[in-house]
Amino acid sequence: MDRLLDTVKGHQLSRRNVIFGAALGVIVPTLLAGCSTGGGGATTNAIGAPRTGTAAKGGILRIARPPASKAETLDPASSLSAYEYLGALYNRLVKLSTSGSLLPDLAASWQQTPDAMTWTFTLRSDVSWHDGKPFTSADVVYTMQHILDPATASPQAGVLSPFLTGSSISAPTATTVVFALSSPNAEFASLLAGYNCYIIPAGSAATIGASGIGTGPFSLTSFTAAGPGAVARNESYFGDKPMLDSIEFSSIADTQARVNALLAGQVDFIAQTNLDFASAKLVTASTTVTVSTIKNAQWYPVPMLNSSAEFSNPLVRQALAHAYNPTEVLQLSVQNYGTVAKNNPVPPTEAYYLDYGLDYDPDKSKSLLKQAGMDSFTSDIYTSTYDPVLTPLALALKGSMAPSNITLNVVNASADSYYTDVWMKKPLMATYWYTGRPIDQLLNQIFRSGSSYNETAYSNPTFDQTLDAARATVDDAKRKTLYQDAQKILIDDGGSLTPFFSDRLVGLSKKIVNYDEHGFEFDYLKIGFEAV
Amino acid sequence: MTLLIARRVALSVVTVLLATVLVFTAIQLLPGDAATQILGQNATPDAVATLRGQLGLDQPAIARFFSWLGGALHGDFGTSLVSHQSVGAEVGRALVNTSLLAVITIVVGITLALVLGMVAGLLRDKWPDVAISTIALVGMSVPEFVVATVLVLLFSITIPFFPAVVVAGQNATIAELLPSVTLPAVALIFVLSAYIIRMMRTSVIDVSDSEFVRTAVLKGNSLGRIVFKHILPSAMLPTLNVIAMNVAWLVGGVVVVESIFNYPGIGTLMIQSVQTRDLPVILLITVLSAVVFVVCNLLADLISIALNPRLRHSRSAR
Repeated sequence: MDRLLDTVKGHQLSRRNVIFGAALGVIVPTLLAGCSTGGGGATTNAIGAPRTGTAAKGGILRIARPPASKAETLDPASSLSAYEYLGALYNRLVKLSTSGSLLPDLAASWQQTPDAMTWTFTLRSDVSWHDGKPFTSADVVYTMQHILDPATASPQAGVLSPFLTGSSISAPTATTVVFALSSPNAEFASLLAGYNCYIIPAGSAATIGASGIGTGPFSLTSFTAAGPGAVARNESYFGDKPMLDSIEFSSIADTQARVNALLAGQVDFIAQTNLDFASAKLVTASTTVTVSTIKNAQWYPVPMLNSSAEFSNPLVRQALAHAYNPTEVLQLSVQNYGTVAKNNPVPPTEAYYLDYGLDYDPDKSKSLLKQAGMDSFTSDIYTSTYDPVLTPLALALKGSMAPSNITLNVVNASADSYYTDVWMKKPLMATYWYTGRPIDQLLNQIFRSGSSYNETAYSNPTFDQTLDAARATVDDAKRKTLYQDAQKILIDDGGSLTPFFSDRLVGLSKKIVNYDEHGFEFDYLKIGFEAV
Repeated sequence: MTLLIARRVALSVVTVLLATVLVFTAIQLLPGDAATQILGQNATPDAVATLRGQLGLDQPAIARFFSWLGGALHGDFGTSLVSHQSVGAEVGRALVNTSLLAVITIVVGITLALVLGMVAGLLRDKWPDVAISTIALVGMSVPEFVVATVLVLLFSITIPFFPAVVVAGQNATIAELLPSVTLPAVALIFVLSAYIIRMMRTSVIDVSDSEFVRTAVLKGNSLGRIVFKHILPSAMLPTLNVIAMNVAWLVGGVVVVESIFNYPGIGTLMIQSVQTRDLPVILLITVLSAVVFVVCNLLADLISIALNPRLRHSRSAR
C-alpha cells in the first residue's frame, strides 16, 4: 500500500500500477480513501481547475447523469426537473455571474421604482422559441404564474409568494413585463435567476415536461425520464452560439458504473454527483480522463435543530460552533479541497459576503456550556451514504469536538429516507446544498422563520426584520450592509454550524476544454473539444 | 401424474400470491413512500401532501392492495406511481432485455457447466479436473459483483474492447444491446456454472463407481455409450435440482450485475422502483420472480420424473 501511495505521489504511473490502483479503488474504496488521507497536497497537479483552451467547432458531448426518477420532467418550475437540460434548452429573464452580480438574459434591461415595489423588465425582441414562434411578454407572465401556481409545487414559489401573486404580473406591451410586489424587495431581480425560473412558452404547462421547447442555445432532440436524451445546437439562437453540435445525456444509476463509463471512454463527463475522493484518485490515474475542481461548489452545513431540546438554547449552539477545529475537519472530510467557513453559511465568493465567523476556541466553548449550566454535552449526529462526504464530516466533528467536552454519537441512517426521516427531524445531522443561490434567497429560504426549507427551524425576529429592511433598501451599499448585518446576527446566534465549503470534483475527458459550472448551471456555450 | 402436477400448480399459485402479500407489507414497513422518495430534499410537508393526493397514496394500504389484486387478476397491473406509464409495458420492456441476458447465460452456462463437470468427473484427479475444480471453487467463493467489476477493468478499461455500461438505457434496441451483453453474461455464467460443475463432477464420480456402470464396462460397451447412455442420465438427476436453484438464483444475481453494467433490465428497474417505492412495478416484478422460482422447481421435478425410471413408474407400481 505504501508503495502504491509513493508511486501515486511521484506520478510515475505505469500501466500496471494503474490497473492495480484501479482494482484496489473499486474493491476497497474505503480502504484507499483511508490510506490516502493527506494525499490531497501530493496530487494537486492532477486535480485542479478545469482546462481552458481553444475549442474546435462541433462535436458531440456525452454526459452521464444519475437518473433522478422516472417522474423527472423538463418543466423547469418543478422540483423534479432534469436540471442538466435546463440551461441548454431555456433562458431566464436574468442570470447570475459567478460573483453573484446580475446579467441580462431574455430581459435587455430592468428598472425598479424608488420604493422597490414595482419592477419593469424590458425584453429582447429578437428571440424566438425552438418551434419558431416569437418570444413575448405573455410567455413571461404565463411562466411566472405557472411557478406561483400551488399545483406546480415549485420550490421557487415559497421564495416568491410572500410578496408576489400571479395576478400582480402584467404585460403592458409585447416587450414589457411589470411585477407589482406586495412588499418592497430591492433584490427581486436576483430571485428570477433561480434555476426554477427558466421561461417556458405561454400555455405549455401540460406539455413542457416532455417537449422542452425553450429559447436556449440547444433544442431538444429526445428525452426519456430517467433515461437517455439529446439536444442539438439551435442555429437561430439569439446569443453567442455554442461550440458543440449536440449533447447526449445518458442515465447511469450506479456510481461505480458512471466512473467505469467515463474510464472506458463511453461518456465525456459525469454530471451532478461529484466524484467521491476515492474514485477521484482512481480517475486521476487514467491517461484519458482528468478530475477538475469547481471551487466551493458545495456547502456542507450541520444543521442544529433549534426546535429540539438539545439546541433550543443559543449558548449550546454557540458552544458547538466554537468547539471544533475547521482546518482539521476540512482536511479529514474532503482532504483540503475546499474553504474553511467559520460557521458563515454565505460562500466567500458571494458579493455580499461578510468576512466574519465563530473561530475555533475550545475554552470559549467550555465556558459557553458552563453558562448554559452544563459541564459536558452529548448528542447523536446523523449521517448516511447519501453523499460520500457526510460520514467523514460527522466523524471528523466527533473527533474534533471531543476535547471541548462535547460527545457526538455518529448514527448512520438509511440513505433512502435520509431527507424524509432525518432532515429537519433529528437534532443534529450532516447535509449539503449547492452554492450559487442569490444572497436574498439563501438567507430567506434557509434561515427565515417558517420557511419551508428552514432546516434548523431557526427563528429570530431581529434577523427577519433585518432581511425585510435589506429588501426595502434600494441603495446598493446600504443594502449590502444590511445583508451583512443579517449574516452577523445569524452567526452570533449560533444559527449555522458550517465547517466548510467543498470543491466539487468533476470527472472529465482530457479532450474537453472550457468546462465551467456554477450553482445549478453548466456553461454550455464555451465548452468543447480541444482544437488540434 | 396429472393430479401431482395439478396439486403442484395450485400450490405454486398460492406461493406467488403469498409473495405479493409479503412484498406489499414489506414496502409499507419501509420508511417513506413514493411521494417522499420522489421529492427527496424537496419533500416539504405541502409538496408531500399534494403528491400523495395525486398518487392516491392517501387511500388505506389494504384498499390499495385489493384494488391492485383485482386489476392484476384481469391482467391490468396498474400504472407506475412514478412514470405514470402502464406497469405491464414498462416491466415487459425490461423483461425482454433481461431475457436476452438470461437465455444466453442459461444456455451457455448450463451447457458449459455440464460438459466441464463431466470432464472433471471422468478425469478425476488429473490436471483437467484440478484446473476445472479450482476455477469452479473461485467462482463459488467470489461474488458476482467482484467478477463483473474485474471484467470491466480488464476488458473495457484496460483493453477497451467491450462497452463498460449500456449508455442507451431502456430505449436500447436488441442490436445495440448485443455487444453489451457479453460481459454481464460472462460474469453470470462464471458464478452460475460453478455450483453446477461441482455437483456434476461429484455425481459423475459417484455413478462411475456404481455397479451398473462397472457391468457396462465389463460387457465391453464403447466409452461413448457408457458415458451417454449409463453415466449421464443418472448423474444428471442430483444436478437438476442444483441447476433449478441456480437458474432461480439468476433472478437475484441479475439485479446486481445489471446495476453494474447499467443494463436496462428487470434488475435495474427493480432497484429504481424500490428506491422510489413504486409499488405496482415492484409487485409485478415480484410476481414474475416468484413465477420463475416456482416454474424452475416444478420443471426440475418433472424432468427428474422423466429421467428416473423409478419415479416414472411409481404410479403403475401402486
